[in-house]
Amino acid sequence: MTRFRRTLRQTFTIARRDFIATVFTPIFLLFLFAPVIMGSFGAIGGMGAASVSGGAQDKTRIIAIVPAGTARPITQADAGLRALFRDEEAPPALTTVAPAADPAAQARAAFETKDVDASAVLYGPLDAPQILYGPRGRRSADYLGVLAQTTLAAQNLGGALPAIAATKTPVTRSTTSVGGQHQSAFFAVFGIFFLTLFLSGQVVGTMAEERNNKVIEVLAAAVPLESVFFGKLIGMFGVAVLFVAFWGTVVSQITTLMPAGAAAALGDLTPAVGGPTFALLFAAYFSMAYLLLGSVFLGVGAQASTMREIQMLSLPITILQVAMFGLSSAAVSRPGSWIATAAELFPLSSPFAMAGRAANSPELWPHVAALAWQALWVTIFITVGARLFRRGVLQSGSARPFWRRKAKATA
Amino acid sequence: MNDEWAVTASGIVKRFGDRRVVDGVDMMVPRGSVYGVLGPNGAGKTTTLRMLLGIIEPDAGSRTLLGYDNPRDASDRVGYLPEERGLYPAMKAREAIAFLGALRGLDWKTGRERAVVLMEAAGLGHAVDEKIRKLSKGMAQLVQLLGSVVHQPDLLVLDEPFSGLDPVNQERLEALILAERDRGATILFSTHIMSHAERLCDRLAIIAGGKRRFEGTVADARGILPQRVHYTPHRPDPAIRGVLPADAAADGDSWRFELPNEGIESLLVRLIDAGYGISGLSIERPGLHEAFVRIVGQHGDVAKEDAA
Repeated sequence: MTRFRRTLRQTFTIARRDFIATVFTPIFLLFLFAPVIMGSFGAIGGMGAASVSGGAQDKTRIIAIVPAGTARPITQADAGLRALFRDEEAPPALTTVAPAADPAAQARAAFETKDVDASAVLYGPLDAPQILYGPRGRRSADYLGVLAQTTLAAQNLGGALPAIAATKTPVTRSTTSVGGQHQSAFFAVFGIFFLTLFLSGQVVGTMAEERNNKVIEVLAAAVPLESVFFGKLIGMFGVAVLFVAFWGTVVSQITTLMPAGAAAALGDLTPAVGGPTFALLFAAYFSMAYLLLGSVFLGVGAQASTMREIQMLSLPITILQVAMFGLSSAAVSRPGSWIATAAELFPLSSPFAMAGRAANSPELWPHVAALAWQALWVTIFITVGARLFRRGVLQSGSARPFWRRKAKATA
Repeated sequence: MNDEWAVTASGIVKRFGDRRVVDGVDMMVPRGSVYGVLGPNGAGKTTTLRMLLGIIEPDAGSRTLLGYDNPRDASDRVGYLPEERGLYPAMKAREAIAFLGALRGLDWKTGRERAVVLMEAAGLGHAVDEKIRKLSKGMAQLVQLLGSVVHQPDLLVLDEPFSGLDPVNQERLEALILAERDRGATILFSTHIMSHAERLCDRLAIIAGGKRRFEGTVADARGILPQRVHYTPHRPDPAIRGVLPADAAADGDSWRFELPNEGIESLLVRLIDAGYGISGLSIERPGLHEAFVRIVGQHGDVAKEDAA
């Protein structure tokens, strides 16, 4: 067996162990379903907030102080306009009240009522209405203005607005929308960030496990430490591939189960380079980001001898990761800006920012250049990381550099 | 490729900082032998073994392993039990053995099959599917040892293999070492427990203070010290000292002294002629323990924790 083949076999033996040790544990389910868990927490939080605000909304009113003859038309106009709003965006319910002797005082008094919260109150003639509004009632006041206008128009036209027969035809865009691209870009950046954040931590975790269990010397005796290093990277990469494959399948099938409107909204999340190309680029950029950050984590993690030290060392790297995420997020929201260029060039943020760019811009050549640039940095990071790893794990100096080994071999 | 020697080392040196932990050690381990590396704590045994295996590089000197200049090239034919034992606690015993075999090129299926056979032979058949974390320390150590032989290596390197084992398991380990030798493997092990070395080793090296102080057979080592005479006269009499050699020391009614260079016969004749007679007489060979203490003590380099 050649040395290369043996190294490859040893690397994959380590990778297999790490993959199995990670995937066949209950903790992995937490990771696999992390998006669901995160979504659930978000939904629960949202429902709680909606429930609180819904309770208050039920008691909020817009009030029109209008003569009896106007009450009916304004109610009809409100019914017509209200149909344009989604439930959660609809203005507060309308209440009509007959005017008293002093409508202005009556309107002011409406804000002091204990039974309901007046958001905005209209009084006076419809062609020149007076509208009072409370805190957060500006939108309600605008709505009352439009309501008055619509009611007046209907009255001028003999009591009702003319009926029309509109033909509504849904149209699908042949190109992606800017909003959809931005959303796709953000999802790409977030997806890579999330995966690398978890996996880099896992890589360091397995490292810590081996240090604690003293397994590392068994590994170091049997296989070159470079194989251990690569094996760990590949093992966790396998975990990531499993994760992406699972959620990729779910997302690709879920649109068939979703309501048409929601599916259409997801359909708008079309990256500029097209779905298949984007998937390939996402995979490539994820690999680069993972290899860059994983080698940093492994190299630095190997310097620590206890779990506590590993956590201490991991913190600044995690902060760096979050910073890269922030930088890349800013980059994808402002394509072509200096910050986007900086994020695309800086090695640690480049994979994130370029994945976002793939969603925002259809050009392909920058990706070829970026991947070459990132591959260069991956080589540098892995070389330095592996040497740090060896030095840290054995606490006994680095291996002889390859050029010296070569020189010795030829001597 | 050298067929005579499983391991050779020539002047290997390792420094950690300013300290020369291993200082020019030479070693020749014949194929098919059991070879002991003896030394006190901190002598440099572990560092020497690590260099021989290629885990760390020597700062100077050269070594070969199974004929290869680069020990990594022989790694699939080597088994190793490090001083600091370590297995993955969540792995089952059978998987752990198969994993250690897989690291050395054995396919998983064969590894699992051999693991069962080995565990049953070692009296651990009931623990085949137990997770490592559920095994006792001694059992886990045996599992790791089985993992180091599962791929049937040509060279088995064991660093302090007896430490942490109870007498029953120590006996099992001795049997396993001899079985491996009978299979044709070379066994290189370090220890500071002389009784094991005395029973097992064909040859041994004694290291102290990072230097090799002795190399040879157990008999050679014991031969460094003269044989001792244990003599009991018929009639206790302090005046007997005038007949006995100068180094004779009283031990109750008996006397102990080194066997004279000219032999015991003339001395016995003198004792009988003087009327002391012979109530008891034995000639004792000193053990490896005494030889070790003498060799290591001569160099006075005992100590300091093995930093490696």
